Amino acid sequence: MPLPLATSAWLDPGAFAGLAAHLARHEGADLLLSGAGWPDEDLCLAGLRPTAEHVPDPADPKPGLRAFLAAHPGPALGFLSYPLGLDLHGVPSAKPRALPPGLFRKYAALLSWRHSSGRLEILGSDPALARELARLAACPPPLPAWNPPAPAPLEASLDRPGYEAAVERALEHIRGGDVYQCTLSLRFSREFPAELGPDLLLRLWQQRPAPFMAWFRHGPLRLLSVSPERFLRLEQGRALSQPIKGTAAFREGEPGPEAALRNSPKEDAELSMIVDLMRNDLSRNCAPGSVRVDRHKAVFRLDRLLQMHSDVSGLLRPGRDGADLLLDAFPPGSVTGCPKRRALEIMERLEPHCRDIFCGCFAVLRENGDLDSSVAIRTAILDSRAGRLDFFAGSGIVVDSRPEQEYGETLAKAANFLRLEDL
Amino acid sequence: MRILLADNADSFTWNLEHLLALAFRARVEVAPYPPASACGFDLLAISPGPGHPREYPAYGPLLDSGVPVLGICLGMQIINEHFGGTTDRLPDCVHGRAEAIALGDRTLAVARYHSLHAAALGRDLEVLAVNADGVVMALAHATRPLAGFQFHPESFLTEDGEHCLAFAARHLGLA
Repeated sequence: MPLPLATSAWLDPGAFAGLAAHLARHEGADLLLSGAGWPDEDLCLAGLRPTAEHVPDPADPKPGLRAFLAAHPGPALGFLSYPLGLDLHGVPSAKPRALPPGLFRKYAALLSWRHSSGRLEILGSDPALARELARLAACPPPLPAWNPPAPAPLEASLDRPGYEAAVERALEHIRGGDVYQCTLSLRFSREFPAELGPDLLLRLWQQRPAPFMAWFRHGPLRLLSVSPERFLRLEQGRALSQPIKGTAAFREGEPGPEAALRNSPKEDAELSMIVDLMRNDLSRNCAPGSVRVDRHKAVFRLDRLLQMHSDVSGLLRPGRDGADLLLDAFPPGSVTGCPKRRALEIMERLEPHCRDIFCGCFAVLRENGDLDSSVAIRTAILDSRAGRLDFFAGSGIVVDSRPEQEYGETLAKAANFLRLEDL
Repeated sequence: MRILLADNADSFTWNLEHLLALAFRARVEVAPYPPASACGFDLLAISPGPGHPREYPAYGPLLDSGVPVLGICLGMQIINEHFGGTTDRLPDCVHGRAEAIALGDRTLAVARYHSLHAAALGRDLEVLAVNADGVVMALAHATRPLAGFQFHPESFLTEDGEHCLAFAARHLGLA
């Protein structure tokens, strides 16, 4: 059941940024936003005034999710957190979790804005709410000037020797035949005034646009994501995954780094094994012969980095749906390793922290059965009570990884995300 | 044709299911390790998977049941160990790379994902293919319908997975 279109308007990107930040700060909106410059990811969504909420049951999440989606009009926005993936694969974990296994919401009003047209649609069946939103959209408050918080010390979940020892243990698992690849992450924490969260997200949306950005509320927590990576999309029965592996620094005007990235045997192997893993995760619910790999090793630029990805797609088997696709493939293969279950077990032992939203996914689940979702990397949790920001960064460990290099890469990713001064 | 695909908690199992379904025009049933029985199936396929063959002791009776068996990667190592062969670490393990090997009358690129390899060959097993370094890439039993590939015919890096399975089928009496 779709939400009816109440009214529409035209907004330029600056006005939309102001509107989105205002709605997140004052109206409790949840946001799924695409940054500018990604022709295939054009859409920005804001959900307001939740009418229903669903937490998936880790023991059997599909029936409850299907019933929730069918019971209420409009698309659902939400997330699955990484520990749900441990539960789904039967990997025990006793670490305290900050988030539920997942959370999906339906809304009284949904705002939808497209970069390509500048058209804003206000959907919902409450005329008073639609009028209020239309008035706000006609003259949205500007995005406040960016006032970066003072630099604060970072606290990591593992120190350097601890992290490098964990990489060594992962390498020993690889040499012993347990896994081909696993990912190791660190959690970084710093003080951060949570009221700056919406401004931070929309500044990033303007200055360092990523195709899959998110802002989601849960109690005192605010999830903030600036992800470059699609997990799964389902459109008219065609499933698409776009796993990213391989990252290189990029300097303006410097020729040839794309070719160096494509020709690196290490990066090639890392991406190839994840492509085979995503083929597997799609094949489980796709028709034999329909799964294909396109644009293998395509390179794109994001925020001073080059990243390499591939398109893996397939046609759903008869009788399967988006819940099958999403939950059977969860957590995303590009952030677990391969084979997935053994990799999950190893990472669970080697990492002292719980990943929570990191390496989970954000998703929009549509009323016609279509869905789109991102891999929750470059993702933070803001705690508005404690004034703390937890941010995660990780890297893929393969047989020729070197602990000191992986440590450097992980720290560089964290520092790049936390460059708050020049936004 | 009915195929039982035993899944050793691997992440390439469904790729293999698709390839088996297409190459053999078969109905494929996927069962987690340990499968109870392969009775009534025309072929048991043993998936790749994590770890060492010794972690999978339940395959013994299935390998002696007379049902044809095709083992992939770990699956091949399980066949080899069943007949007294050994499995060791590769000095330079290879994950996610393709290389050309001769398979029957054809040379083609095949995908390798393995840290371990068949070091000593089991009784009555014959090597069907090796790579340039002499690592066993395919083997079969001299008298029984048992065959294995160390490489991954189901990978997108492998040039022609269906050709690889047709080659196996000839050694399994299924052609």
